[in-house]
Amino acid sequence: MTGDTYRIVRGYRLALDRAYDRETHMWVSVQDGDRVRIGLDPLGVETTGSIAQLAVLRSPSSLRRGEQFGSLEAEKFVGPLLAPLSGVVVACNDAAIADPGLLHRDRFGEGWLAEMDARDLAAERQELVEGAEEIVAWFESKVDEYRLRGVLAE
Amino acid sequence: MTTDMAGSKSRPPARRGVRLLDIATRDDRAHESPDWVRISGASALALRFSSGRFSRDFAFGGINLLLNYDDGCRSDCAYCGLARTRPGSYEDKSFIRVEWPLVRTDDLVDRMARHEERLTRLCISMVTNPFAFRDTCDITERIRRKVRAPLSILVAPPTLNRRRLERFKELGVDMIGFGIDAVTEDLFRRLRSDVPAGGAGLRWSQYWEIVSHARDLFGPWKVNCHALVGLGETDRDLMDIFVRLRDREIYAYLFCFNPEPDSRMGAEEKSSIRRWRRIQLLRHLVESEGMGWDDVSFDSAGNLRSLSARPALVEEALRSGEPFMTNGCPGGAGEPGCTRPYGSYRPSEPFRDFPFPPSPDDLVSIGEELGVEELITSRRRT
Repeated sequence: MTGDTYRIVRGYRLALDRAYDRETHMWVSVQDGDRVRIGLDPLGVETTGSIAQLAVLRSPSSLRRGEQFGSLEAEKFVGPLLAPLSGVVVACNDAAIADPGLLHRDRFGEGWLAEMDARDLAAERQELVEGAEEIVAWFESKVDEYRLRGVLAE
Repeated sequence: MTTDMAGSKSRPPARRGVRLLDIATRDDRAHESPDWVRISGASALALRFSSGRFSRDFAFGGINLLLNYDDGCRSDCAYCGLARTRPGSYEDKSFIRVEWPLVRTDDLVDRMARHEERLTRLCISMVTNPFAFRDTCDITERIRRKVRAPLSILVAPPTLNRRRLERFKELGVDMIGFGIDAVTEDLFRRLRSDVPAGGAGLRWSQYWEIVSHARDLFGPWKVNCHALVGLGETDRDLMDIFVRLRDREIYAYLFCFNPEPDSRMGAEEKSSIRRWRRIQLLRHLVESEGMGWDDVSFDSAGNLRSLSARPALVEEALRSGEPFMTNGCPGGAGEPGCTRPYGSYRPSEPFRDFPFPPSPDDLVSIGEELGVEELITSRRRT
């Protein structure tokens, strides 16, 4: 999951060098060993609306995949941030917390959310979408689904 | 979550440079009505000008428009996000908690026509401006040429007279709203008339004169007056206006004061959820169940102390959840039309008014917030 490859998919700039959670739209980028950085992909950000508030666990916190590690709030929406992997949250992005607009402006870079030490990366990454073609196919289907639901601007 | 969280400071929603939507060419001097209007954030979502969604999924079709002028609203109301003396440029000011994106009127009308099946109610909000009447007529005509959804106007009384109200009716407007907001003459004068930038002609007596014309022209239950809870009025003041409006077959629509940052009332607290719920229940029992002064008691400070409405009446009101739903103009079939989701509270706060029928879980929460037993019990003790 290293490299720096991007592709435009259904109008969205998408990083192909990382893995994605199919339902929560969290991206996972391996930093070093079991240390991963996580963030929200373009659909996760866009379907939330204009993000105004962001909260992320600060102290080291042990979580299982799917458990809440934070929350975000937009003008008309509030919802949990769910861990894409099991492990320990070891850092949060203070810059994004201070300026949630970073999630809109730099989704795969400065707009990351947290870092975790993954507990079972090898096994749990099987649950994520990885590889350029798989990512693109999954993302296209999600864009189509959200357009049908009417949550994306025309 | 009980562990240590790092969170953003409370702030208005992040600006993303997309607040001017669907712009073909930008001309900073010309984003004014009638060719441009602002729309509520919820309207922008419903018409797909903006991406996003509501925390809870429900059908939404109440589209709210707001006239836009470079020099803004001429009024200077102490609590309003659009007040003249509130710092910041008019274009960047929030109104009722959130930003209102600016769109081309013709694009908006085309979108409304394209999504007409989901529209329940349209409303144009005037502002106090010399061109407001002319432009409201223009926008109404553009809408009426392509869209059949029922249309209300939230009027700016200083710009109106009887003849102008008649013109709105001729153009196909079926309901008229008044932002009375401050429910006593004294409060109105202090917050809206005697204000730093001048009151722009906002006078209590003139508002009620126009209300009377509207009631006469549009008929029973076709006029509404907004009451903003939390401006310094007492519960008794609210009861008084509920009864007077009910007796004239005019709706009272409740709004919850939400402090707009940097406005003159920006540091004031909004009313407690308990008081708000009780006022919602009171309004409902007065307007829909005919409750009167003999059925309630207030303490010496004007706070609601007890209700002696028939218990079955209160229980049914609580069971239905109706008192706690958004007060707004209805759709064409009488269904909730203008529902203003998250209009005066953040999505992370309890719903102040529900844009849909409250769920069984919601009703449990409402019951706890309301403390209805205490209201009934205190009556028994007296």
